[in-house]
Amino acid sequence: MLKLLQRAGQWTFHRADGLFTRVFGEHLNPLFHLGALSYFMCWVVVVSGLVVYAFFKTGVREAYDSVEYITQQQWWFAGIMRSVHRYASDAMVLTMLLHLGRHFFFDHYRSFRWFSWVSGVIVLWLVYASGINGYMLPWDRLAQFVTVTTAEWFDTLPVFGGTLIRNFIFEGAVNDRLFSLLSFIHIGLPLGVLLVLWIHTQRVPGAKIMPPRTLALYGLGALIILSLVKPVQSQGGQADLSVAVTLIELDWFYLPVYALLQRWAPAEVWYLVGGLTLIALATPWLPPKRSRKEAFHMMIHPDNRIIAIRDGEFVLDAALREDVRVPFDCRSGGCGMCKATLLQGEVDYGLYQPAFLTDAERAQGKVLLCACTPKSDIEVEYVPVETPGKIAVAVHTARVVRMNRLSHDVMQVFLKCEGEETPRFYAGQYIDILLPDGEKRSFSFATAPHERELIELQIRLVPGGRFTPHVFNEMKVGDTVRFEGPLGSFFLREDSEKPIIFVAGATGFAPVKSMVEHAIHTGFRRKMFLYWGVRSLRDLYLPDLPGEWERQSSSFKFVPVLSDPQPEDHWEGRTGLVHEAILADFPDLSDHQIYACGSVAMVQAARPAFLAKGMSDYDCFSDAFRFAPRTEARSAEMVRLGGTA
Amino acid sequence: MNTILRYAAQIALYVAFGAALGYFSSYPVFQALPPDQALVRLSFSHGAKPISPCRERTPEELAKLAPNMRVKLDCPRERAPVQVEIEMDGKPLYQITARPAGLKRDGASTVYRRLPVVAGKHTFKARLADGPDGKFTYVSDATIDLAPGKVLVIDFNAGKGGFQFVH
Repeated sequence: MLKLLQRAGQWTFHRADGLFTRVFGEHLNPLFHLGALSYFMCWVVVVSGLVVYAFFKTGVREAYDSVEYITQQQWWFAGIMRSVHRYASDAMVLTMLLHLGRHFFFDHYRSFRWFSWVSGVIVLWLVYASGINGYMLPWDRLAQFVTVTTAEWFDTLPVFGGTLIRNFIFEGAVNDRLFSLLSFIHIGLPLGVLLVLWIHTQRVPGAKIMPPRTLALYGLGALIILSLVKPVQSQGGQADLSVAVTLIELDWFYLPVYALLQRWAPAEVWYLVGGLTLIALATPWLPPKRSRKEAFHMMIHPDNRIIAIRDGEFVLDAALREDVRVPFDCRSGGCGMCKATLLQGEVDYGLYQPAFLTDAERAQGKVLLCACTPKSDIEVEYVPVETPGKIAVAVHTARVVRMNRLSHDVMQVFLKCEGEETPRFYAGQYIDILLPDGEKRSFSFATAPHERELIELQIRLVPGGRFTPHVFNEMKVGDTVRFEGPLGSFFLREDSEKPIIFVAGATGFAPVKSMVEHAIHTGFRRKMFLYWGVRSLRDLYLPDLPGEWERQSSSFKFVPVLSDPQPEDHWEGRTGLVHEAILADFPDLSDHQIYACGSVAMVQAARPAFLAKGMSDYDCFSDAFRFAPRTEARSAEMVRLGGTA
Repeated sequence: MNTILRYAAQIALYVAFGAALGYFSSYPVFQALPPDQALVRLSFSHGAKPISPCRERTPEELAKLAPNMRVKLDCPRERAPVQVEIEMDGKPLYQITARPAGLKRDGASTVYRRLPVVAGKHTFKARLADGPDGKFTYVSDATIDLAPGKVLVIDFNAGKGGFQFVH
């Protein structure tokens, strides 16, 4: 039954989405921005309400007269604001109900989505309470109807037990203080709405709280035109408790329950409203229970991050939750903004508008991240449009100006951008070298962001590879390369006071160099520890540089760790796995930030051990992964910093 | 869809949006009370007599009490329920037995009832019993011409002699 209902709802929304996209275009389709439109309408209500409140007087006679004044005398401003206030409130209910309906029909309220659903139901009732309270203020016949009916309804609750209505039983029983109380409530409740709305959106990754500007302006324009065509008027003169309300123009967006209260006993209406509320609140846990499926992992490029995707979670939501800045707009499979390439694995493509993902594109491996859910571990690649700090990702051409062989398998390459400045980037980010056939190879910036002249890369030789042998054997000063960047969300967080532990494996040293030099340049006072793990002494390809940093900054300490020292190394320093050295030195990691850069194997071994020592998930940053990966071997190889073949 | 058609459809949908808001914010008009009816509102809050009379404590009982608690009369806290009957033109219109409020049933009995009646001239008779014997100690009547939509409040105030018909 529920499934049938949901299918019917999905069909309806899907068709409406298609129609509205044809009319408004995919970016201005109001059905894709229902939540944001509700938010916007809320702000319109708040602002227009403040204008009306400036004219409103709190008194039995004054309340009615002041509202009449703005409606009749000040119609051209405050009167319009009164109407906009009313119609925006109605529009908010409409968009909220559609927003709620959409998530219900598409079954987006179970599991981890329960929080948004439950807080949304609370918002809905707070909005209703605010709106109904607002109808009491003008003290016209509608206000009388709403106030008396509310008192009658609430009087059936044991806490009132018939005493509340005594305040509205005789003409003259109401005094000025009632309007101070009502005004107070009418300010307090909307503040509650805004607070719960804020909470409601906190758990939604990448939630948009403003619709596109054009849509907002057109919506506001429609409200103003409606206010001019059908201005809101007070009804039937001032409230008169000696005369019953007979015929009344009800706002059916807010007051259908008040009509029911005239036909049903108040207790029956309580049962109905209370029952519906309880059902709505319990909906995420009601049957039919979905069988819990295994969660999957996603390798996402170009960030080179491995992210867990929860059961039923859209790939886009998982990416946004982990701060991967995938471009998106409609989140409903209706605009194509989040189109990406599926490199590995299987997905359920979900519901989407065929115009934005053609069969041919599907055949080429394209998916819409906002509509698809994984059926296995997956690997996807998207085209970034922005990086942290909104630094634009762009394709640059650079010339090789210097090359130094740092060790038997590491080449230091300096690039200078042609005809333009070195792109701005964050310490720790990387670039993709574009090969002639469109393939990409990732390398971290080894230079700090303040060094504007050259870009330093540290490239490790991968025998048999496609690119690195070229660097070692054929590349020469004067060659040009094309690259895309800056990329990645692995960069130094400067908004913390916690000591930093850098964990570098092999050429994972490159982004660490960028971060440490940036930190020293900007006068970081935080303690910094660098643990550089390599196999043998010859792999410490810039052995003197960390010592230089120690001399420049008393906050910096360097610990080299060799996993397989050779006899000729005569090594007397730390040995073993690099993360074990850290664990030995830091029995409690709860007050540290860790930046791990190295092979998948290194970070895979280190992360659970760090977590066991109290490290917070929020304080561990890695370009390699966050969760134990189960992706294809090739994919895992790709995250190795310093690049692949 | 060509551009002109798209703009026309956009305007049509915005108009439909505005029209839906404008219409349902007022219409359809709701008939809260039929046009030929008036409204009787029975409302009062009255503390009834104790459920049983006070009695004198025996000297033995008094001796068991702390010196500052030795009051001769032992009066029950619980009050009797209030019974009310309203007749209109000799026919029963409404009756209720209202229990006192409070965990100990020592509060006032409160009644509110909304009674739509056909407009016109009516004779109302109201009776109230507030003792443990259930005897109607307060009886009042009044003939009132109720215009359509007019409200008649039937209140009770023992201090003012019992029922009051306010219209």
